[in-house]
Amino acid sequence: MATRSDPRITQTMVYYQEPPVKPPPMLAAGPLAWLRDNLFSSAVNSVLTLLVGALVIGLIVSFINWVITQANWYAVIFNLRQFMVGRYQVDAEWRLQVMLLVIAFTIGAALAAWGRISRFFALMIIAVVALAFVIPVAIRAVGVMPPTYLTAGATELQSGSSTETPLPNVGFIGQAGETISLQLALDLSADDEALRTLHSFGDVAANLLRASAENRLTNAQRIAVINAQLAEDTPNYRTLTANQRTTLEADLGRLVVPDPIAESLALNQTPINFRILRGSTFEPILEGTLAADGTAATIALPEDGWYILETTGDGIGLLETYGIYPHLQRDFSRLEELDEAGNVVNAAGRYQQYVRMTDGFLTEEIRPRIDGRDVPMMIIIDNQYRGDRTLNDYLVLYLGPFLEIINDALLWIVIAAGVGYIGLGLINQYAPVEAKKRGSRAVAQRTATWLLLALPVLMFVLAYGVGGFLPLTDTRRWGGLLLTVMLSMVGIIASFPLGVLLALGRRSKLPVVSTACTLYIEFVRGVPLITVLFMAQLLVPLVNPQLAEVDNVFRAMVGITLFSAAYLAENVRGGLQAIPPGQEEAAKAVGLSGWQITLFVTLPQALRLVIPALVGQFISLFKDTSLVAIVGLIDLTGISQATVAQTEFLGLRREVYIFITLIYFGFSYIMAALSRRLEASGSGAARRV
Amino acid sequence: MIDEATVARDPIIKCEGVNKWFGEFHVLRDISVDVLPQEVVVIIGPSGSGKSTFIRCINRLEEHQEGKIVVDNMELSHDVRNIAAIRREIGMVFQQFNLFPHLTVLQNITLAPIQVRRWSRDKAEAKARELLERVGIPEQAEKYPGQLSGGQQQRVAIARALAMEPKIMLFDEPTSALDPEMIKEVLDVMKELATSGMTMLCVTHEMGFAREVADRVLFFDQGRIVETGTPEHFFVNPQHARTKLFLSQIL
Repeated sequence: MATRSDPRITQTMVYYQEPPVKPPPMLAAGPLAWLRDNLFSSAVNSVLTLLVGALVIGLIVSFINWVITQANWYAVIFNLRQFMVGRYQVDAEWRLQVMLLVIAFTIGAALAAWGRISRFFALMIIAVVALAFVIPVAIRAVGVMPPTYLTAGATELQSGSSTETPLPNVGFIGQAGETISLQLALDLSADDEALRTLHSFGDVAANLLRASAENRLTNAQRIAVINAQLAEDTPNYRTLTANQRTTLEADLGRLVVPDPIAESLALNQTPINFRILRGSTFEPILEGTLAADGTAATIALPEDGWYILETTGDGIGLLETYGIYPHLQRDFSRLEELDEAGNVVNAAGRYQQYVRMTDGFLTEEIRPRIDGRDVPMMIIIDNQYRGDRTLNDYLVLYLGPFLEIINDALLWIVIAAGVGYIGLGLINQYAPVEAKKRGSRAVAQRTATWLLLALPVLMFVLAYGVGGFLPLTDTRRWGGLLLTVMLSMVGIIASFPLGVLLALGRRSKLPVVSTACTLYIEFVRGVPLITVLFMAQLLVPLVNPQLAEVDNVFRAMVGITLFSAAYLAENVRGGLQAIPPGQEEAAKAVGLSGWQITLFVTLPQALRLVIPALVGQFISLFKDTSLVAIVGLIDLTGISQATVAQTEFLGLRREVYIFITLIYFGFSYIMAALSRRLEASGSGAARRV
Repeated sequence: MIDEATVARDPIIKCEGVNKWFGEFHVLRDISVDVLPQEVVVIIGPSGSGKSTFIRCINRLEEHQEGKIVVDNMELSHDVRNIAAIRREIGMVFQQFNLFPHLTVLQNITLAPIQVRRWSRDKAEAKARELLERVGIPEQAEKYPGQLSGGQQQRVAIARALAMEPKIMLFDEPTSALDPEMIKEVLDVMKELATSGMTMLCVTHEMGFAREVADRVLFFDQGRIVETGTPEHFFVNPQHARTKLFLSQIL
């Protein structure tokens, strides 16, 4: 034990030699060390890592699998305009395009002022845009459009209670120069094993064939299993109780295995005669016979419009056709259209558009009639893609067309953002030196701030119009993302000052002001948003008929603003209360007046403190705008509800809601990311005193 | 520190029978004291004796309920303009610095001159840089308070108060929240200020500072002035038993 007399303690030491100042040692020695330290540091951590990893990977794989083989994105691709802008007037649509460019320009400018685009990031962006153009071309070059299977002949097909007879005539639309080819689908008609693998578009009877084959094979397999069980020949049922035996035998009795479908129908064994007629004139442009020897017929269509495929035959044939795809019929009504000479180009009344779902090709040619009835056509409800999709079919049917729709817009957005980024950089670079004494990017930052402040005003003016300059648009036609963005933008911008004023008012020393603000805040917070919206839409016009003139969108904006302001006020008040009293004392001591103290000292600090809460409030406001769907406005959610309620898109709920989920998530995530940037900016970089 | 030839002998601060209560608690009892221009008055006393409350009454951070306080020939009243005018003449430095954390050092110093005195930004910044030079930290102008040490922050606070070109400076225990090594740098600035002829009222526990710089020492106990005198009198020959006890405990 050491004592006071221990020389090790009493010895005097003076250290003249200074240890060198060294950089810290490399803590991470490569990815493996990182994995060991962070993901597999202990047994529990390792198990958690593996479990969560397996879960995440499993979810991603099954989601991607679903996207490629099952998901049907036509509801989204077809209604993309509706999802984006609703029924916004077509003649004013250029304004929204300008708006998009202005937004992109401002984002570019803001990046130049506060952010930095690394060379890698810029190359990534350029690569993405280039890919958006290259991929569709590549898909067109390499991919093959899936066939459509049509039945032909005279045999009635039966499956359970449903019967189908092949259609003798099928109408379809086509483009000049397009190739139509037909042949018997001999690889599918060999036996039921082949028939069950049918996957593509098909008419109802073709699908019935596939389903019957599938059904028969499944039943046969089930019977084999039960027989094995009854023979006590399986690992699970070594011995059977009397009860189990009875159940299995009952099951066996219910299972019926029909004769093999392909063989019993003599599918594709008899020749099929066909003609292709021009829909407008019924003039045959091709005729011939398809036989089991694999003969194929091909024709290039002479012009755009309707054609009819007419088939006859004694037995039954399954035709593999290329160029015939399901259609969507759109009904419109229009006013009389005149050309410059005053001749009627289009008569007033209803007219139809027929759209081919695979590529959006459309014609307004009148659908041919046979025996007084519209010729049957492949429609997208009944003739949807059946069976699991292949990757090729996913690419040619969805990814390629989708990229083709958006790639122009993407290019323009990136160009506008690039112009903003480079332009502001140049302005900053050539600005006089004395303008930059508050930082090398001061000029850019000031310019970008003005741009950001002007952006919402500009967006609103572009979308709505301004008296005497841009004609006003009809807000009843606003919809989709446009409406969602406008509602949230106006809500956020208007409720912010109102909320701050309410917060200051609630803390006011004047009892009248503080009581009024408190009452307002507590009342609004006690009422659900949906009630506020209903009041704005239904009750307010009853109370004051003049307010019924104000259109619904503006009433919803006012409702959302008033609602959000109350919550915002409480957030801001929380921030104000967290400011230490010393701040106000110091501000008083240097002679600042009451409002100056609020404006320059307490409010900025309070707002900075509550950025996370404020942005949280803004994000929930953005998502809460979906409630306007209930009061009859068709925002992004409203459009989705309307879309999945259309017969053409029944059963596509998942795809539509996943699509809008991605949009909502994208916007919310951007807001959250901006909030993090804002928190870390300025004095946020140095933590509080 | 008083240059007899240049000083107008009218007191710049006059307190007569100042009384104040916090609820039932009588925190200031009949304080009557005058402070002459360019005088350095150090106020000492035990915690809770009312010394901070007293100097906070002088720039109206606290309101007195009885008596009269006259600063630079203006009597403190409820008139807001009057209070604002008086606050423009009085700078104050706090124990906890109370810098504005969301503003840079330069913005902290220029805020009041620009907003209250209506100086141009350039003039205010020139003045601020001059003051930062004076308190010895010109290189910290663009930093935020959170990036400075306690001593540096307190020197910024002094510069902030001086930027309004006050006639009087109040110091409320300016070194109590500082590490021992930083106390000296702040005291040096205060000494330099005293030498330059600023009227100062200073609540402090730094007896060395009081002894060296003060023209007069006030000793507070339980809300009243117990003893007052020159530092020589005070530290060498205190009269009141309470003063003796206090000094014996801290020296």
